[in-house]
Amino acid sequence: MGNPDSLLGAMRQLYLVILWDIRKIARYRFFLLMRFSWFIIQVSIFAVLISSLVAVRRGFTEFNYYQFYLFGVYTSILFSIALFRGYEIAEEFEEGIIEYQLSLPIKRKILAIGRSIGGGIASFIYTLPMFAFVVFMLGVYNVVAILISMFGALLFSIGVVGLAASIVLFAKSGDVTDILFGIIDALLLRLSTIFYPAVVLSVFQPYYYAAIVNPLSHITDLIRVFFFFEDFRYITISDPLSMAMYILGFSIGLSSLTILLIEKKVEGGGWK
Amino acid sequence: MMSLIGRGTIVIALRDLQRFWKYRWWLAGLISMNLTDLFIFALIFNNIVNRSYIPDYFRFIAPGIAAIAIFASAFSIGREVGVEVRRQYTQYLLTLPITRLQLAAGRIIGGSVRGLIYQIPFIALLFIIEGVPPSWKIPYLLATSVLLTIAMSGLSITISTAVRSFDLQATMRSFTYFLLFFFSNVFYPDKLIREYLPYPLYQLMVNNPVSLAAGVYRWVFTDNLFVDIDPQLSIIKIAVISVVITLIGGKLYLRNLTS
Repeated sequence: MGNPDSLLGAMRQLYLVILWDIRKIARYRFFLLMRFSWFIIQVSIFAVLISSLVAVRRGFTEFNYYQFYLFGVYTSILFSIALFRGYEIAEEFEEGIIEYQLSLPIKRKILAIGRSIGGGIASFIYTLPMFAFVVFMLGVYNVVAILISMFGALLFSIGVVGLAASIVLFAKSGDVTDILFGIIDALLLRLSTIFYPAVVLSVFQPYYYAAIVNPLSHITDLIRVFFFFEDFRYITISDPLSMAMYILGFSIGLSSLTILLIEKKVEGGGWK
Repeated sequence: MMSLIGRGTIVIALRDLQRFWKYRWWLAGLISMNLTDLFIFALIFNNIVNRSYIPDYFRFIAPGIAAIAIFASAFSIGREVGVEVRRQYTQYLLTLPITRLQLAAGRIIGGSVRGLIYQIPFIALLFIIEGVPPSWKIPYLLATSVLLTIAMSGLSITISTAVRSFDLQATMRSFTYFLLFFFSNVFYPDKLIREYLPYPLYQLMVNNPVSLAAGVYRWVFTDNLFVDIDPQLSIIKIAVISVVITLIGGKLYLRNLTS
C-alpha cells in the first residue's frame, strides 16, 4: 500500500476502502430488484392514486402533486437504501469483517471516511435507475439540473451512510440497529416535505419545525427547485442556497461523527 | 389432529409468547412506526385531501393502520425464526421431543397471539377515534383480527426462513410490508382504485387480506361512511387466504428447517 503516512499512501488507502464498498454492488442484484419493484409500485400505484386524492386548498399556488411527489419518492428511496448500508455493516460485524478491517494497516480515519464515501457512492449508484426513471417521467432533460441534483443526492447519500454507520458502531446490536433504523426511517420520512409541501406542514407547528431540521426536506426540495424552479420555489422549506449548504454540512458532519466513533470508540467484538 | 394441537404445540406457542416481552423495546419502536402513519401522515394529509372522496382522512386511515399493525407484530415471530435459522438454533429445536408439525403449528399460533396482543392498543385507539361500535359487530372485529394474524404469522415465517442473511431478511420484510400496504385500500378508497386502475389490479388490491380486514374494521366502526362491503363475504375471503398461507407457511418452514 506504499508509505501509509504519505499523502499518496493515504489517498491510495482511501481509494481501496471506497472501492471495496463499490465492488459489492454486483452482489446485491436481488436487493436492487426488490427496491426497484418497490419504487415502481410507489410511482405507478401509490403516487397515481394519492395524487388523485389531493385537492389544493387554502389558497396555495396550484401545483402538480404527481410531479411534486416523484422527487419525494426518489429521495425517500435514496435515504432508505443509504440507511440500509447500516444493515450491511451490522452483518459485517456479525461475520467478523469489521474486526478484519480494523486490523488492517489503514488509519481508522481513512477507514471511516472511505466507508462513508464508498457506501454513499454505492447507494447513489443503486438509485441511478430510479433517478433516470423520474427524469424520464418528468420529461425534463436539463443537463445542469440533472448534474447538480445528482451531486446533491450523492452528498446526501454519504451523510446518511455516515449516520447509519455511526448508529451501528455505537449500538453494536442487531436488535437495536433494526429498531432504531425503523424508527428513524418512519419519523424522518413522514416529518419531511416528501409527501406534503412545507406550507401544509406549517399547520402543525411541531411537525413544521421538525421538517425544517430534517435533511430529507432539504434534499427533496432542493432537487425540486433544480428542476422546476418557478413551480416549487414558493413552497420549499428554505431558499436553495441554504438548502444546499445544509446538505453539505449534513454530509461533512455525519462523516466526521463516523470518524470520531471509529477512531475513539470502536473495538472488535462485543456484538450483540 | 391431536398430534397437531398436542402439548408440544402449546408449549412452543407459550414459549414464543413469553419471549414476546423480551422484545418490548422493539415493540415500542414498532408501535411508534405505526403511529407515525396515523398521527403524522394522516393528520397532515387530511388538510390536502379532496373531501368528495374522503370526508375525514384521519378517520378513514385509522382502521387501515390497525389492520397493517398486525403485520408488524406477527412479523416479530418471523424475525425471530430468521435469527434462529441464521444461528442454527433450529438444530436444537429439531431435537426437542415434539413433532415437526407441532413445532410449525406452535410457531404460527405463537405469532398469531403476539399479533393479537399487539393490535389491542390500536383497536383501543379505534374506539377512541371512531367511537364504540354496536356490540353485535364485535364478533366481526374479533374474527377478522384472529384470521388476519394467522395469515400474517404464516407469511412472516415463510419469508424469514426463505433467506438466511440479516440484510436480505430485512429487505424481504420491508418489501412484503410495502406490497401489502400500498396494494391495499389503507390509503385510498375502493372507489378511487376502481376509477384509476385497471380492473384486474383493482380486484387484486381489494382482495388483499389487509384491504379486506380494513374494510371490515371500517364497516364495524363507521358503517357505510367509507365502505360498501359485505362483511361476511370479506371474513370468508380472509379465512380462505389464512388457511392457504398457513398451509404454505408451515410446509415451507418445515422444509427450510432441515434444508
